[in-house]
Amino acid sequence: MLLKTVFVRLLTTAITLFGVAVVVFILVRVAPGNPIAMMLPPGATDQDIATLNAVYGFDKSLAEQFIIWLGGVIQGDFGTSITLRQPVAELVLGRLPATLELSTLALLLAVALGGFVAVIGARKRGTGTEVGLDLTSGAVLSVPDFLWGLIFVLVFGVLWPVLSISGRVDPRIDIDFTTNFYIFEGLLRGRLDVVGSTLSHMLMPAMSLALPLAAMIAQLLKQNLKEALTQDYTTLARVRGFSETAVILREALRNAALPTLALVGVQFTFLIGGTVIVERLFAFEGLGNMAIDAVINRDLPLIQGIVLLFAALFTVINLLVDLSYTFLNPRLRHG
Amino acid sequence: MTSTTAHTHTLDIINLNIALPRGQRLLRNVSLQLEPGEVRALVGESGAGKSMIGKAVLGILPHKIKMTEGEILLEGAHLNAMTPATRRRTVAKMSALIPQDPLTALNPVRKIGPQITDPLIRIHGWSHQRALARARELLDRVHIRAPDRVMHSYPHELSGGMRQRILIAAAFAPSPRLIVADEPTTALDVTVQKQILRLIRELQRETGTAVLFVTHDMGVVAKISQKVTVLFAGRVIEDAATHTVFENPAHPYTQALIAATPTPNVSARPFQPVPSALIAELHRDTVAADALFAQRGRR
Repeated sequence: MLLKTVFVRLLTTAITLFGVAVVVFILVRVAPGNPIAMMLPPGATDQDIATLNAVYGFDKSLAEQFIIWLGGVIQGDFGTSITLRQPVAELVLGRLPATLELSTLALLLAVALGGFVAVIGARKRGTGTEVGLDLTSGAVLSVPDFLWGLIFVLVFGVLWPVLSISGRVDPRIDIDFTTNFYIFEGLLRGRLDVVGSTLSHMLMPAMSLALPLAAMIAQLLKQNLKEALTQDYTTLARVRGFSETAVILREALRNAALPTLALVGVQFTFLIGGTVIVERLFAFEGLGNMAIDAVINRDLPLIQGIVLLFAALFTVINLLVDLSYTFLNPRLRHG
Repeated sequence: MTSTTAHTHTLDIINLNIALPRGQRLLRNVSLQLEPGEVRALVGESGAGKSMIGKAVLGILPHKIKMTEGEILLEGAHLNAMTPATRRRTVAKMSALIPQDPLTALNPVRKIGPQITDPLIRIHGWSHQRALARARELLDRVHIRAPDRVMHSYPHELSGGMRQRILIAAAFAPSPRLIVADEPTTALDVTVQKQILRLIRELQRETGTAVLFVTHDMGVVAKISQKVTVLFAGRVIEDAATHTVFENPAHPYTQALIAATPTPNVSARPFQPVPSALIAELHRDTVAADALFAQRGRR
């Protein structure tokens, strides 16, 4: 039973990734703009162009190119970046930790902030406080992440410069880590200077990404909490002497978290999509920033690698959401 | 009125009025008493306000429904005079609720055990071991086999009858002075209903807990209660000992309710619905009384 579920899951994941690969491969080649033209200086001869085309295999048919590329991918070879002249896999995996740490921090901030506001809103339901929180979260939600980024740069980078506005870590700090997970490995190695500097660089982009999601969680979780608070088991808890706050936290929250979780999973993938622009804004050396460079330079192998990695990331997140859903809901546990 | 009597009633409701925010009255000058160890049935049709009385006592009136007048005394303590937090703790320590629908009254994502022991530990201040032992004892008392396994189960793994027995165990666990049973058998199978009624009656006798038993079923009333309060449109229209009510009902509506209770022997006493003319007349009375009440208020 479980084995079958896992197998089906893996198969659908493989099909999804293959579909993404096909679409991206074709799109980047059909879209206007030519990587060879970007590489050569003005006044290059037709002979030079033809030579380079042959070197990178662009003279072959689309199907042939795809099969060659796919053959490499299956063996773990994602090709070589045209602009950076390094293996795509190496480049992409080197940047992945930065984006993972950023989006994880953003998710944690969003859940903490949104959860807190939702609980307060449910506690103060029917009062002016609830209306005020609703209006605030509505306003926060209507400002997109990159605009939050600009607002933060202005406030905490220019007017009151307390946070670092550019990069991932202070370049003066000597980092000899084996992985690029600066926070994770920094904590393990006790290098709090690295952790602190990374956090100071990450806080603004993470908050920019987190705020719209936090507002969404605040609204939805509050709604679900209010729904749970009309249920008989919460009434019974009140009769048994529990305070309203205790009833919310002990009885209602886990029930309300279930429907909220489904949305958070979907929205988290949007948040990761948002890293592309926000990382650019803060010159944060992550996958998203690299993706923009790759698109500008028409670095086809790199674009393909990044998109494929994002797609793989999304399917992993969906899997994790499903698993946590089963974990939180006892009715699904004994399938 | 009767608040200065020498002995203390378990529950003393004096002239209780409950209304919606626009002023529609749900309970009209309801007074009733429960002596220690007494079972009082509250009967009436849907919307008569019988559940509202229990909810007012327990402090769980729906949003926007408010007590406009009256006093509720639990073991002699004036509930209205208390701050909400004190009232909540006082009510929780002295009373309990057996809810109507066992399928929704247990939290679906929490195990049974903590749902019984949590209030004992956190509200009544018992030790963990004492609460656990008490839960086991009560579950055993309500005929749940393998209490330890059940305490580790989730509600969806148990039947409706089992869940209601668990809720009864939970209600009796802290030895309350008063239990409000809000139509505890309505949502159950007919076959299970009898068991549940018998259990409540047995436990009530053993513990001497007073029970306010809300029901619309005169058959249930005859089985469980010593006293009956009949409500119509939020008014008490009859209040007497159960045997008196069945043998010699004073109010025509009570007579009609008894006549409307189906019996197995249909040929001997055919089923008779409550006559609509009587209901219409009672409603006219209510409207007239409300008009009088409103007039009095204006003066």
